[in-house]
Amino acid sequence: MRFRLRFAVGAALIAAAVVYLITTAIRSTAEYYMTVAEVGAKQGSLIGQPLRVAGRVKPGSAVWDPETLTLKFSIVPIPAATPGIKPVAESDPISFAVTCVGQPKPDMFADGRDVIVEGKLDSTGHIAATQVLTSCPSKYKPALPGSGASGAGAK
Amino acid sequence: MPELGRLALAIALLLAIYSIISNVIGARRGSPEFIASARHALWAMCAMVTIAVAALWTGLLTSDFSLEYVASYTSTTLPTVYKITSLWGGQQGSLLFWTWLLSIFTSIAAFQNRRRNPNLAPYAMAVLAGVAIFFLFMLNFITRPFDLLPVIPAQGTDLNPLLQNYWMAIHPPSLYTGYVSSTVPFAFGAAALISGKLDDSWIRSTRRWAIFSWLFLTLGNMFGARWAYEVLGWGGYWAWDPVENAAFMPWLVMTAYLHSVMIQERKDMLRVWNLALIGLAFCLTIFGTFITRSGVISSVHSFTQSGLGPYFLTFLIIVAVAYTGLLIFRSGELRSPAEFESYLSREAAFLFNNLVLIGIAFAVFWGTIFPVLSEAVRGVKITVGPPFFNRVNGPLALALIFLMGVGPLIAWRRTSAKTLPRIFAAPVLLGVAAGLVVYTAGIRTWYVLVAMSLVAFVAGTVIVEFRRGVVARRHMVRETTPRALVNLVAKNNRRYGGYIIHIGVIIAFVGIVGSSFFKTEVKKSVHEGQSFTVGAYNLRYLGLSETDTPHMESTTAHVEVTRRGSEIALMSPARLFFKREQQPATRVAIRSTPAADLYVVLAGLDDNGASATFEVFLTPLVFWLWAGGLMMVLGTVVVMWPNVRERAAIAQAVRGAAGEIEEKAPESAAGGS
Repeated sequence: MRFRLRFAVGAALIAAAVVYLITTAIRSTAEYYMTVAEVGAKQGSLIGQPLRVAGRVKPGSAVWDPETLTLKFSIVPIPAATPGIKPVAESDPISFAVTCVGQPKPDMFADGRDVIVEGKLDSTGHIAATQVLTSCPSKYKPALPGSGASGAGAK
Repeated sequence: MPELGRLALAIALLLAIYSIISNVIGARRGSPEFIASARHALWAMCAMVTIAVAALWTGLLTSDFSLEYVASYTSTTLPTVYKITSLWGGQQGSLLFWTWLLSIFTSIAAFQNRRRNPNLAPYAMAVLAGVAIFFLFMLNFITRPFDLLPVIPAQGTDLNPLLQNYWMAIHPPSLYTGYVSSTVPFAFGAAALISGKLDDSWIRSTRRWAIFSWLFLTLGNMFGARWAYEVLGWGGYWAWDPVENAAFMPWLVMTAYLHSVMIQERKDMLRVWNLALIGLAFCLTIFGTFITRSGVISSVHSFTQSGLGPYFLTFLIIVAVAYTGLLIFRSGELRSPAEFESYLSREAAFLFNNLVLIGIAFAVFWGTIFPVLSEAVRGVKITVGPPFFNRVNGPLALALIFLMGVGPLIAWRRTSAKTLPRIFAAPVLLGVAAGLVVYTAGIRTWYVLVAMSLVAFVAGTVIVEFRRGVVARRHMVRETTPRALVNLVAKNNRRYGGYIIHIGVIIAFVGIVGSSFFKTEVKKSVHEGQSFTVGAYNLRYLGLSETDTPHMESTTAHVEVTRRGSEIALMSPARLFFKREQQPATRVAIRSTPAADLYVVLAGLDDNGASATFEVFLTPLVFWLWAGGLMMVLGTVVVMWPNVRERAAIAQAVRGAAGEIEEKAPESAAGGS
């Protein structure tokens, strides 16, 4: 019985180590995954937090400078239901400026494309992105590992 | 042909249902006639599924676009090899393929056990038939591979270009083989619980199946990583994507299982634990299919969202609840008489290795489902990315490697503390020496220092083990060293094959550590004729060339690579555009050496090719990840090598040297199908 107890202690230590690692790692690596509209609603409390924002590239807003690898554009909400039919209105109330420096332009990046932006929001409503990922627009999505349907940029 | 396929699947479902009933009746009444009839039904079911597969393959090869599946995943211009692999390129086909493998494995297991395990086998066959019923139900009613299109299109949609790759041709079959073959040990575990025959015969009967499953899970994960590395063009091989995690978790659990069953075979301990592990492994294979098909876990890599999720979830819950219920029901009978005696015993090391492996699997699981959990509990979706997995699994991997060195060297039951210095002196010295070498080389990252020391320590323990065996043989049988080495492995293939796998694991681990900590990434936009440096290499952009075929357009950049003034390679990364799919893709150029891989991506073009953006990765030691994987496969083949050869070798040894001391009974003599 003494040994059984000792093993329970050993097992509990390992379990505790795993739980400790998980909780601390989550605290330091978690990112909020939100839509542009959700970010708009909670803007104040999100400043400086790591975010993943799902939205759409505002038509006409994208500027790409290959010399400095700088991509600038505005991100707007993805309109509900009928994508492709209703164009994003110029007067759309929510919009965030995004700047991504040091990354190549993703393969599928274009005006009106759905993207996920990873980065942080500053107090002026500007998102400094570390990564811009494009979603795959095609009908068939590979259902297999790592499926970088976005071509480049899948990370 | 479509009608034939549809009919075959319907008959297969009926046969599976019949087989369950007949097996159960046969087992309860002890009637061999019923059991034989059930077995024949399973074989007939396998024949039916084979006909269905043949029918779908015929459709794919003849481009019969009246079939929705054929029109969705192939085209007339698709190379034949990818028409064949399209069988598992899409949802219905991959489920059919899964069912086919299951019916084949079930038939083989039924054949192996036609005279063996009379108490266990009928229930195991019933469980296998039950699993088959689920998949056949899906194929008959929910996601039918033989659905027809109302209008026959002139051309098909084609297989996704990213999947038109040889790694992708072999990755899914490997993974599926690994997944599906784990069903056999699971079925025997469940049969042990149902029948109450709770000794280790269920483990012995399916030992080879478990190793076989592990081998293919290993291959599947490796092929997937290799595919990601060569095709996706982000310079890495593992992104902790939910799909990758889904394949990785069963591997972890099967690894734990393969170690802990040794304790049960040796010491009759951990009965509940082993049954729980195999149940968990099976559930994880279903869970993996569930998350990749349901769209519950969102990812940039949009999964095939389909209505299949709820069905898989329901099946998963039924299996998990029934199995757990059985475990609880039998828990009284499962109590083991034996107990652990000391921390310093092999069984203790194995148990802790198990806990660490399950810990890693749990962390992966938690990270994978965290977005769903956080949304349900707190109303916000919180995702964790690769940093989370690396941070948690990094330290756990070190613990695992440490135990991998300790376990094999200490004795069963207990090792006296006094013998420890003698056993471990050489490996520990080797580990410390390796740490010092790495430190002297200027590396100060604590993780790398510890990792390399532990790797050398494990290598040391394996060398000690081999040396001990060879010395003993030379002494006893008077063999030369190479001969003694060969015979040692041949006659104790389970044990020494295991050590070869361990060597493979640490080699792969060196590759992972090297490529994770010392990767250099350079992104640069250059004009034609300009050059830039990456590490010790100088890359010069020479210019573009273009080709245009009906299938795709490709734009290839030519890059001259020099090191210290001398040209070493001409690399040609390309951008492709698949016309039918209207989809761009990149073709990476890789120059691989044992020291480092130079990985060049053509990330973009501007001003009509006058300037090009390159993304270049210099990844040290990644070569060793694949080498280690190969070693693991080699070791597994050694472990699985039939005992026939072993007997022949012993017979030969006896003939060759009469009057010698008889071999001690090889460990590998223990059971196995």
